[in-house]
Amino acid sequence: MNKLLLEHLLIWKSTRLKLPYALVTVWRRQLRYLPAVFAVAFSAMLSTLQCGLLVGILNIAARPIHRSKAHVWLASPGVRGLGFGRPIPLAWKSRLLSQPEVQRVEEYLCGFAQFQRPDGSTDQCSVVGMQLEAGSLGLLADLTPQMRQSLTRPGTAVVYESELPLLGLRDTPGEIGEVAGHRVEIVGTLRGGDGAGLTPGLYCSLRTARALLAPLPERQTTYLLAQCHDREQAPLLAQRLEASYPDMDAMTSGELAWRTQCYWLIKTRAGLVLGFAAALGLIVGAVVTSQTLYGASVASLPEYAVLRALGIPRWRLQRLVLGQSFWVTLAGLALALPLTVILAHLARPMNIEVLLPPWLVAAVGSLTLAVGLLSGTAALHALRQADPATLLR
Amino acid sequence: MVQTLTAHNLRRSFGSGDTNVVALDDVSLELHPGELSLLMGPSGSGKSTLLAVLSGLVPPDSGQVVALGQKVWALSDLQREEFRRQSTGFVFQGYNLFPALTVREQLEMVLLWAVGTPPREAERKVEAMLDLLGLAEKADRLPEQLSGGEKQRVAIARALIKDPQLLFADEPTSALDWQRGQQIVELLKASARQRGAVLVVVSHDSRLLPYADRVLHLEDGRFSQPERPAAPELPRRNP
Repeated sequence: MNKLLLEHLLIWKSTRLKLPYALVTVWRRQLRYLPAVFAVAFSAMLSTLQCGLLVGILNIAARPIHRSKAHVWLASPGVRGLGFGRPIPLAWKSRLLSQPEVQRVEEYLCGFAQFQRPDGSTDQCSVVGMQLEAGSLGLLADLTPQMRQSLTRPGTAVVYESELPLLGLRDTPGEIGEVAGHRVEIVGTLRGGDGAGLTPGLYCSLRTARALLAPLPERQTTYLLAQCHDREQAPLLAQRLEASYPDMDAMTSGELAWRTQCYWLIKTRAGLVLGFAAALGLIVGAVVTSQTLYGASVASLPEYAVLRALGIPRWRLQRLVLGQSFWVTLAGLALALPLTVILAHLARPMNIEVLLPPWLVAAVGSLTLAVGLLSGTAALHALRQADPATLLR
Repeated sequence: MVQTLTAHNLRRSFGSGDTNVVALDDVSLELHPGELSLLMGPSGSGKSTLLAVLSGLVPPDSGQVVALGQKVWALSDLQREEFRRQSTGFVFQGYNLFPALTVREQLEMVLLWAVGTPPREAERKVEAMLDLLGLAEKADRLPEQLSGGEKQRVAIARALIKDPQLLFADEPTSALDWQRGQQIVELLKASARQRGAVLVVVSHDSRLLPYADRVLHLEDGRFSQPERPAAPELPRRNP
């Protein structure tokens, strides 16, 4: 009885609202279209999570840049990203300080090194040296005042909690490792963050970093950071510096972050792998959707044939079928969105960062919609069989 | 407008060589508005083919159909589709109602999509048709909630909603018991008479004979018997 009442209510509501026929037919025959809805939801979810994973990974790579207070970065010409800068003269500080927009300039050391674990094995790590004064441009925000104090001692570093296992370290004070023949004492564990780069990082003072990144010539550094009076001035400043000094690269934080992310995207081929998996998900969704819609169209061929006999033009029926694919895809997307958000949240405790910026969700949604409509065109083939003459045989 | 439906020397065959089957063999006829013309014959006699050719759905190999003053098979495909849109209604054997649309929506769709009737006017016409055919209380039902007779009435309403001048019905009572079948035939006949439409009914049910104004007996693609006068007419209903 309740089911019957609900049915009547749904029919009454849909007739009163004058919904499009395509929506009405999908709504009232949900069971028939559910496979397609689930297929779309699955493919949209898979694609979004894949892309979100990729964005998350790339975000980690550029995190130190985003977290710094610098607006403009100076580096060696053609620098591929953070950590790949060749030595540049510290004297270039004057190039920055001479600019009216610049409020503050700082040195920043960042490079890759081999970390020797207590057990003797080695692994790649990044070494980040920064000014330790409170409010410094390159200072890691997760550093406590005690940690900053401890890091003033040469040969000390802090590590993110999540990266301790990667360096073969335990979460106990005083763990020792070695980089480039120099002893490194871990004096603190950064908690709550997810690391600040794609390789485990040792965060230390400029003095310690200079020793670990040897051979770094005297009076040289890898990056110079500049803070403008107004952030809006950064693009023009960077542009002017680029034009004035061809022997260096001057970039806004955004530009350096983009370079860094592009490098890791191409270098690791993560983009290719995840992109392929996302495309595969979309293809699966498209195939199932098109098959479902094709089946639905074939099942309704006699009805379509009657409408053709009555003179309803073929384009009307084509629009109906495409409309059905639109609503099916929309339903799938509506199902996918909350599930994707939930799964992204569930991944966080496993230190897997899945970022879902609005542009990503919109892009995947649009792509899924386009694929859904495309799969609807496959179902249009069925309409060709809607020949009224067949009803008279 | 001249409202007859005439056919001249229609020929139609299917297949080729040894599998060639002659469905229509030099068939000519003239049908008049307001009359129920009953097309009868055994299975394979060419009834459905004749209906298909008369209604502009299947082209003849030779011959011509003139309907409402137009040579149907001299028109282009698009023109013929327009002709069907403007002037024809069909009732097929198997209802063929959209399972997901209500009775009201089945009719509205035809008006909105075939005729281009404005929505408010379409609503009004649909309500009038539903009242006429006794379907007002079933307007919001889906086909699965209707009886066989009700479904066929919906199919007829769908055929009539466009106010066609030519009405073609293929075995409209075959899926119904005789009581309901009788109602359907009476409905068709009354509608044709009221609208002055040419009504062609294909059936092998001899119980429909008393309702026919003209009987055409087809066998092996030809009219096998001289046109038999209809049985004494039933009392005409007032238009």
